[in-house]
Amino acid sequence: MVTQTFIINNKNGLHARPAGELAKIASTCRSDITLKIGEKKINPKSILNIMAAAIRFGTEIELACNGETETEDLKRLGEAIEQGLGE
Amino acid sequence: MKVLKVKQPASEGIAMGWAYLYQPQERIIADYRVSAEDRNKEIERFEAAVKNAAEELFVLAGENPIFAAHLEMVKDIALQEAVTGKIKGDGNNAEKAVVLACEELILLFEAMEDAYMKERAADIKDIRERLLGQLTGLEKKTVSCEEESILIASDLTPSDTAALDLDKIRGLITRDGGITSHVAILAKSLSLPALVGVKDIFSEVADGDFLILDGYTGELRINPTEEEKQKYHELTGKHKEAEERIKAEEHLPGITRDGKEFHLCANVGNIEDIKKAVTNHIDGIGLFRSEFLYLGSSHFPTEEEQFEAYREAAVICGREITIRTLDIGGDKTLPYYPMDREENPFLGFRAIRISLQEKELFKTQLRAVLRASAFGKIRILFPMIISLEELRAAKAVLRECMEELKAEGIHYDDSIQTGVMIETPASVLCAEELAKEADFFSIGTNDLTQYLLAVDRGNTKIAALYNSFHPAVIRSIRHVTDSAHKYGKKAGMCGEFAGNEKATELLIGLGLDELSMTASLIPGVRYRIRRLDYEAAGKLAEAAVNKATVSEIMELLQ
Repeated sequence: MVTQTFIINNKNGLHARPAGELAKIASTCRSDITLKIGEKKINPKSILNIMAAAIRFGTEIELACNGETETEDLKRLGEAIEQGLGE
Repeated sequence: MKVLKVKQPASEGIAMGWAYLYQPQERIIADYRVSAEDRNKEIERFEAAVKNAAEELFVLAGENPIFAAHLEMVKDIALQEAVTGKIKGDGNNAEKAVVLACEELILLFEAMEDAYMKERAADIKDIRERLLGQLTGLEKKTVSCEEESILIASDLTPSDTAALDLDKIRGLITRDGGITSHVAILAKSLSLPALVGVKDIFSEVADGDFLILDGYTGELRINPTEEEKQKYHELTGKHKEAEERIKAEEHLPGITRDGKEFHLCANVGNIEDIKKAVTNHIDGIGLFRSEFLYLGSSHFPTEEEQFEAYREAAVICGREITIRTLDIGGDKTLPYYPMDREENPFLGFRAIRISLQEKELFKTQLRAVLRASAFGKIRILFPMIISLEELRAAKAVLRECMEELKAEGIHYDDSIQTGVMIETPASVLCAEELAKEADFFSIGTNDLTQYLLAVDRGNTKIAALYNSFHPAVIRSIRHVTDSAHKYGKKAGMCGEFAGNEKATELLIGLGLDELSMTASLIPGVRYRIRRLDYEAAGKLAEAAVNKATVSEIMELLQ
């Protein structure tokens, strides 16, 4: 399993559009992915779960990928998050 | 005639037309038990509905990013699991399972504190309707109306708005929602005047009433007199002409009729802002908030990272750029720099206070700015200074950085200017002493107003007390500009007040040399300045300084 923490730099947090972008990328990853915010764990393949977590600007999140493609999945997700998820 | 009013219009402009009350049909939902052996078939029925809804949304997503998010939502595994669980586990039919699963999500979003997230419940409602439409095979009534209509609805889902007949609709009004709702965003992007959150709309307006929607004042006039209509016809024409006139002069200098020129600069928060601002014919960047570098990072940005950013900013700007050193604390915190909870964060550990205490961090930033100063015209602005000691301490750190760089053989602008942000009552009262040792002043009216009036600008209960036209604020500006000019220094303003066209004549009359604001406000302010007389503005300011109340000052500016 590989993990990495990120800071959300989307000014309005992960609202519908960036959450959708994250879910879309996560859904195409073959490893199992968990997104941790504090103690809360959510499934980032679900846009609704991401939105319901109300992740704001500056929030620290931890992504964990587990499976054969874990390294490249984490890299893809990380790059997308750092680039603002299409915003 | 009756008038309804909202505090804040959702989209500017004036619309006139007939009220069209749009009430979506209530859908009747089938509700029955599904036997254990038929449940898989019921799940297949649901899955087919998802597939069809996704196909519809895929087409719509090409035109509207909201539907791109809906496309993800409708295929969402959390939603799938919730619905299939209700079919498989509880024996609900597909329609009822969709209604139940969506209801849970709607409640979840509606319970959120954040206004934006609260309104996302509307997205779930929209998806629910789309799925039910697929399951029942019944399409919802589309929004069709007569010519020149003002559409009134309790709320409009993105699907409703996508179905609007825009040739016929002049304006939008909803009973629910806030200024961040879909309706507001859509209306702005289409330049349609709109009011949202008009609570009494259905009890006061009937189908076919004639309405005037004033998206500048937030007023709605119901069945106005002919005279009123005429007045608004003229007003609409005037607004249109004014916009065109302002646009026609956006490339000209901000110079008064009697020849006094003002610097009109932009406030920016990142490189993207600068790129946009330079297309707006600006005279420079009056305020570059360096916080974005820190907020967008997972660690304190290194000297190299900051240098790159400041250099890029200076190069893109191409003119003078004023970089404000780190201004955190108050309502802004960094995730990697834990700060103690404070009783009064706005009176607490913030801005220059942090920089002077965390000297290494401060030096990293100043060295980066200095190095970038070899690539463009940069000024340094220190935030929240309350004393001469602080200014001296900050300048001493800057000198230390200069000596280090010199020893390392690194180039920088050794005549770089340092300024003081005037935003505390202390800095106003000590302006003369500060003017002797600072190269320029920049008045931050947002905080200055808050501190002078002792009014927390985030507190809605006392929002009415927060007013930058208060005599205390006006007199402070006068004292600050006088003090600066006495020692041959320049005084600018970089608060929101600088972009307030109602204040333009007063501000230039008070002696400000530079006004810095959100880039989009610059053309309007420039247009005002070009029609003003500097000498008359000075007289007006003189009179304003001697007024005792906000209302007397406002009267003077009419």
